[in-house]
Amino acid sequence: MKRKINKKRITRSSFGAGMLYLLPSILLFGIFLFYPMFKTLYLSLFWTDTQGNPVQYVGLENFMYLFESPSFMTSIKATLLFVLYTVPVGIVLALILALLANENVKGIGFFRTMFSSTIGMSVAASSVIWMLMYNPAIGIFNKILSAIHLPELQWLLDPDYALISVAISTIWMNTGFSFLILLGGLQNIDERLYENARIAGVGTWYKLRNITLPMLSPTLFFVVTVSIIGAFQSFGQIDILTGGGPMESTNVIVYAIYKDAFINYDVGLASAQAVLLFFCILFVTILQFKIGERRVHYQ
Amino acid sequence: MIPFKKISLYALLIFFTIVMMFPIVYAFLISFMQSGEVLEGNLWPSEFNFSNYQKAFEQVPLFKYLTNSFVVSITVTIGQLIVSSLAAYAFVFIPFKGRDIIFFLFISTMMIPWEATMIPNFFTVQNLGWLNSYAGLTIPFFALAFGTFLLRQHFKTIPKELHEAAQVSGVGRFRFFFHIVLPVSKSSLITLAIYSFLTTWNMYLWPLLITNDEKVRTVQIGIKQLQSQEVASEWGIVMAAVVIIIIPTLLLLYMSQKRLQKGLTQGAIK
Amino acid sequence: MKKMFTFMLMFVLLITACSSESDSDNNDTTEDTNAEQTSSNDATETKEDTESGKTEVVFWHAMGGNLEETLTTIVSDYNASQSDYEVVAIFQGSYEEALTKFNTVAGTSDAPAIMQTFEVGTKYMVESGNIQPVQKFIDADSYDINQWEKNISNYYNVDGTQYSMPFNSSTPVLIYNKDAFTAAGLDAENPPMTYSALKEASQKLTIQDGSNTTQYGFSVLNYGWFFEQLVAVQGGHFVDNDNGRTASAQEVTFNQDEGLNVFTLISDMYNDGTYYNSGTSWDDIRAAFLSGKTAMYLDSSAGVKAMVDSAEFEVGVSYLPIPDGKEREGVIIGGASLWMSSGLDEEIQQGAWDFMKYVSSAEVQADWHLQTGYFAINPAAYDLDVVKEVWEAYPQLKVTVNQLRETKSSTATQGALISVFPEARQKVVSAMESLYQGADPQQALDQAASEINRALEKANKLSGN
Repeated sequence: MKRKINKKRITRSSFGAGMLYLLPSILLFGIFLFYPMFKTLYLSLFWTDTQGNPVQYVGLENFMYLFESPSFMTSIKATLLFVLYTVPVGIVLALILALLANENVKGIGFFRTMFSSTIGMSVAASSVIWMLMYNPAIGIFNKILSAIHLPELQWLLDPDYALISVAISTIWMNTGFSFLILLGGLQNIDERLYENARIAGVGTWYKLRNITLPMLSPTLFFVVTVSIIGAFQSFGQIDILTGGGPMESTNVIVYAIYKDAFINYDVGLASAQAVLLFFCILFVTILQFKIGERRVHYQ
Repeated sequence: MIPFKKISLYALLIFFTIVMMFPIVYAFLISFMQSGEVLEGNLWPSEFNFSNYQKAFEQVPLFKYLTNSFVVSITVTIGQLIVSSLAAYAFVFIPFKGRDIIFFLFISTMMIPWEATMIPNFFTVQNLGWLNSYAGLTIPFFALAFGTFLLRQHFKTIPKELHEAAQVSGVGRFRFFFHIVLPVSKSSLITLAIYSFLTTWNMYLWPLLITNDEKVRTVQIGIKQLQSQEVASEWGIVMAAVVIIIIPTLLLLYMSQKRLQKGLTQGAIK
Repeated sequence: MKKMFTFMLMFVLLITACSSESDSDNNDTTEDTNAEQTSSNDATETKEDTESGKTEVVFWHAMGGNLEETLTTIVSDYNASQSDYEVVAIFQGSYEEALTKFNTVAGTSDAPAIMQTFEVGTKYMVESGNIQPVQKFIDADSYDINQWEKNISNYYNVDGTQYSMPFNSSTPVLIYNKDAFTAAGLDAENPPMTYSALKEASQKLTIQDGSNTTQYGFSVLNYGWFFEQLVAVQGGHFVDNDNGRTASAQEVTFNQDEGLNVFTLISDMYNDGTYYNSGTSWDDIRAAFLSGKTAMYLDSSAGVKAMVDSAEFEVGVSYLPIPDGKEREGVIIGGASLWMSSGLDEEIQQGAWDFMKYVSSAEVQADWHLQTGYFAINPAAYDLDVVKEVWEAYPQLKVTVNQLRETKSSTATQGALISVFPEARQKVVSAMESLYQGADPQQALDQAASEINRALEKANKLSGN
């Protein structure tokens, strides 16, 4: 009984202390994230003039329009496909690189440096390089294809390939970061576990499945979370490489929001999309935490 | 190790190195070409001279932009480390009512698309008088849900007993935070620092929106400034600018590689 | 579920709390705002002082690359030429980005005195209410507007009021590879002027190598501007109510005969394998031409000189092709113009106007025309010796000017006036792209038309027209 009271007292005094530590974050979030988000929520219920001021309250009209609009459906499809193309492949690639670079052989430091170098590349710089490589007339990719007598591709111009092409460049840009984090995770795994495994004489595959991956799971969970959110919010490469085209095949939601708000000056519609995107990512993240955290193996 | 295994390991390592490095090398080679050579689709420049680099520097104050980018990125990184670690500490070590709800609110900010926040934030920054200043470029980004989340995950692995022991022996909250929690979380702090630095380095639209002159403008704007819309851009010069922009970050990365690696492994709690 | 609800409630509560908090924040700072803003503008202020009391005139532009170099020279020449005003030119990204930024600061003290806006933003600027039509200064100054090329300034003339000063102006032209023409047995001095001639020439120019086509006949950038031009050259309107010039446009009209002619041409040629899809980037289509991938394409007149310089073959320039049996109406002006902000000090506006006058002078325009390839908005520039000399060396430039001069003044060639132009262009581009996927030309046009009509309807409802 006495203990319980005691605990309650601590909790109360802790509230102030807790808030003190949280204050900077809460203040900044309030001003620069929640307030704009609230405003977005509000604007999504209006038709706005070209200045972005609410003019006419229309209730859910913006949302209704979106759900009927084939454009918006294309955007959703492009967004989901983009996440699907970039996240799994990107993580598997980074994992392979990390596993290779985790071997202790001569000169491994050099390879680690090379594998992580895309960290130093900004999205704008990388996109400009990839744009030239994809160029159908003078880019290196088509030069290679025609050199080995394969039909040339219209990389960024063909609606069937554009999203994949953007995804490939995105995977390349993100690999450095994922690689470095995964390598860190791998190096944290206790050597003795492998020692024991070697004594028990188990195979490489078994080691990977039963020691490496479970021990790496917190790191993997982290990388997956970051990659998914990053994929949902990819913007720079799409802006530079395709501008949402051809035929809106790369018009992911984030880019559609940008276009509606900044080029078409339809802030109401852009806001409605932002609200939908918010709940969409929220849903995916809750799902991920529900499924993911259960599987993660904390040491 | 069996030689065959070793050879195939090296083969794979070299293969992936070529794949990862190719675009960078490609940009480097193009940066020495005159426009005619680029259009022929050549891979090797006919001669290595620095005329494109010279032109890039003449057209855009790249040095100034680079310096600004560094100042902004480093400030944001430090700001995010402080604000996020304070918040994460509260979420792990200070139990209070409503903590989980606040944490969830924090996490939810990760899902807010930045496009939606940009215009309202512009007006806020304008009202604060932060247009065209480092403050406007940095302070709005100091709070980072992702950073809080990352550090919280790490702080959670610190044994509770350690915290209790510290409290019993009368070590204050802040001292515990500063002298015990932060040092053992080095790896996560480093991860966060890299992440913060790079995201800030990459920003384009926000800096463009709130800055007006080269005193505070960042380097990503510089690349855009070299490309024209209706008149042909010169690929050689654009690529030279790209190379100029990536060299500092690449060098920084290469130099700090060893320390980064060490930091990432050291901090772990076994 | 319950948890979720609590969360949502908290979310809303916190948001309200924060918004009211930041509102009061705003109130607190309002008084300081001015003081702080001046401090943030400190650098520019001090500049003003040091330059012996010159009035500062801020000029926002979207000229990247070489264009910026030329513009910077003009501005510094102007600053050196007089002692009253100091023009400060600032690059603000692409036209869209610059306009977004202008939009956020319009009406405040952070707004620039002079704003460069692309042609399709005209109606948007007119309706924004934050600009001062230059007509006021033309009247007050009794400035002779006839020294401006009428076919250019007309675009920015709305209801008889000159709203902005035309600046970088261009029109589309057909550019072709003379060497390829000769190699294909075509007359290099006689480029195709009609659709049937264009198709025929393209057939001959197309070269196959196994499964790859090494040289295509013709290409058009997937950009709404070219479509608008190809419609206008036949005398077609883009939207109703005389291109929105006599009253606010209610519906698009580009999906009628004239538009269909264009789409059918592209579709037919693409299916024949003589047309090259070069995407949406100016740099890409030029790379395609310079590398020999396509023998003819449409470009902006502003790109002509650079093309002649960088091509390793003879470059020819000609008028836009028209369908057989149609009368040639002419081209619409493209590019951008200079706008003046309202609500500024009279002194600053005078400075802006003074700079505009300086830029319009024959000498500056001659320089601008030769350095960039854009038209001289003051045709007197073409009579200057410097221009004549360069035209000797580049007869192609003269073709572009002639095409503009032969343009008939009509609502078709004056260009459409709608506020949702950026969106309309995106829809047209999507329609063009769908042709390469085998879409039916009429259906592709109708699809784009119905989408733009909805945007028009909404815009009209909002602006009360």
